Amino acid sequence: MADGQIVVSGLTKLYKNVRAVDNLSFTVEPGRVTGFLGPNGAGKTTTLRMLLNLVKPTAGDATIGGQRYADLADPLRRVGAVLEASSAHKGRTGINHLRVVCAAAGFPRQRAEEALALVGLTPAAKRKFKGYSLGMRQRLGIAAAMLGDPQVLILDEPANGLDPEGIRWMRDLLKSLAAQGRTVLVSSHLLSEMQQLADDLVIIAAGKLVRQGTVSQVMDSMAHTAQVRVRTPQATELTEALRAVEQATITPNGDGVLLVTGVDAPTVGRAALKASVELHELTTERPDLERVFLELTAGKAAIR
Amino acid sequence: MNLIRAELLKIRSTSTWWIFLLITLPLWGLTLMFNGFQSAYLLSPEAAEGMSGEDAEQIIAAGDPANVAANLYTNGQFFGVAIVMLLGAIVVTNEYFHQTVTTTFLTTPHRTRVVLAKLFAASVFGLVLWVITTAANLPAGALIMGANDEASYMGDGTVWRAIALNGLAYLLWAIFGVGFGVLIRSQIGATITALVLYFAGYIGAAIFFGVLSDRFGDWFNNLQLLVPSLASQLMVSGTELPGNPPQWAGALVLIGYAIVAGTVGTLLMRTRDIS
Ligand SMILES: Nc1ncnc2c1ncn2[C@@H]1O[C@H](COP(=O)(O)OP(=O)(O)OP(=O)(O)O)[C@@H](O)[C@H]1O
Ligand SMILES: [Mg+2]
Repeated sequence: MADGQIVVSGLTKLYKNVRAVDNLSFTVEPGRVTGFLGPNGAGKTTTLRMLLNLVKPTAGDATIGGQRYADLADPLRRVGAVLEASSAHKGRTGINHLRVVCAAAGFPRQRAEEALALVGLTPAAKRKFKGYSLGMRQRLGIAAAMLGDPQVLILDEPANGLDPEGIRWMRDLLKSLAAQGRTVLVSSHLLSEMQQLADDLVIIAAGKLVRQGTVSQVMDSMAHTAQVRVRTPQATELTEALRAVEQATITPNGDGVLLVTGVDAPTVGRAALKASVELHELTTERPDLERVFLELTAGKAAIR
Repeated sequence: MNLIRAELLKIRSTSTWWIFLLITLPLWGLTLMFNGFQSAYLLSPEAAEGMSGEDAEQIIAAGDPANVAANLYTNGQFFGVAIVMLLGAIVVTNEYFHQTVTTTFLTTPHRTRVVLAKLFAASVFGLVLWVITTAANLPAGALIMGANDEASYMGDGTVWRAIALNGLAYLLWAIFGVGFGVLIRSQIGATITALVLYFAGYIGAAIFFGVLSDRFGDWFNNLQLLVPSLASQLMVSGTELPGNPPQWAGALVLIGYAIVAGTVGTLLMRTRDIS
């Protein structure tokens, strides 16, 4: 499955007085799950909607497999999307919702049943949408996105409202879709989930790109924020000894534990040896995605 | 074609359409009753008694049995087209109200086609309502004509022209409705505004022209045509009434409005952000 690459270049959206998206450029590769992260109001939804021809960009453009969404001959066969603020008619049954999409896209009718089965909604097929729970609604959205068996999937906070089982199901689904060579772009606020799911990351804040790369590249770029955890019965002496080392920032964490940043574990060990301080524990704690994310977007996260 | 099927399925797969039919039924009965009494009066010889000049002329023309028949066979239009207009509006505002517009435009990025399909689907509904009311009007009308010792006039050309023009009215009001829905995205806003404009516009304009036409004469009376609800009533009058503009003029005005509503709606839809 070739050319499922997403290219966003110079994308800008001006609302009355907000630069919702500001000269944003990044690429998303097929065969990988790409996490699209940013604080509330960063412009994720706006970016995805511009990519899908739902919102008109003020400047710049976005292509999927080299074509703008509006120019795709058979959009649902190429791209499946699950967006927030997208829903179904409250008085229409789940299966009929999918049948309407099938009719409009020219898909055979039984695709609706198949997609419903794929997301485990068959028992609720003939129930009206207003009787669906949040998670069921989300699943119906995913079913609609899967109708055309698309090679590119774009999901805006798909885990919203899913139970733990549902989240795991979604993770496995997205991973297997990427493994088949499809492009998967997914925005989320669940950072620990993202750390397990994503291969690549695109992080934005205040409408601008903050960092793009593989998960390990992004994590490594913030490796200097790794902290050393050290436990000792002689906390005061060790603190004294580390004061002599430049760049070290020491935060006592109770129970004889010190959290040291700015220096690596060997440096801490040597300082302790020199001062003849007894150590009971010495470990490097790499920052998790949540810490990296908060560091990267610090000060840019204000809601505009 | 796929899109039209999808739009028709959208209408069929919710309860809106049969609720609308249920509302139409008693309203149809109501206007039939009114028209029944009016017919009896117009057909009676003493109708124009005690009137003079143009008024009497109009009553006599209206009392032409062919005209009375045409009026009966197009019974229900007054409320019928309002219902059709509402459905046309809802076909669009529903998409915003239930947030299905995202899915719709993801499926079909060419928004013009979506609007055209909606216009078509709403028109189909309008025509179906026309067929149903006409099918009910024919026996009911023939019965009333018979009760007044008149022929049914079912073979009469003017009668069938009125029935056909009535169908055109249903179709055109469906198109207005869609245009309305595009202009006012809010479900409640669109339906209420449409209804108020329809009924208040009708009554207001009728009073307005009733009071002022005497003073300004026929050319002013002809301006009635610019009020869509009056234009569509004029369209279905069986014969030409003295002092009134011709029926085809009413049709032209409505078609003009429908084209404007459809075009403006499509252009708006094309550039609008969906968020
Ligand atoms: N239709 C609109 N009119 C005006 N401003 C808007 C509109 N849509 C979005 N914005 C503004 O654009 C900015 C970006 O919004 P967007 O919804 O893209 O953020 P997001 O990253 O998806 O946030 P969240 O994580 O909360 O979903 C916000 O400041 C928002 O207020
Ligand atoms: Mg969002």
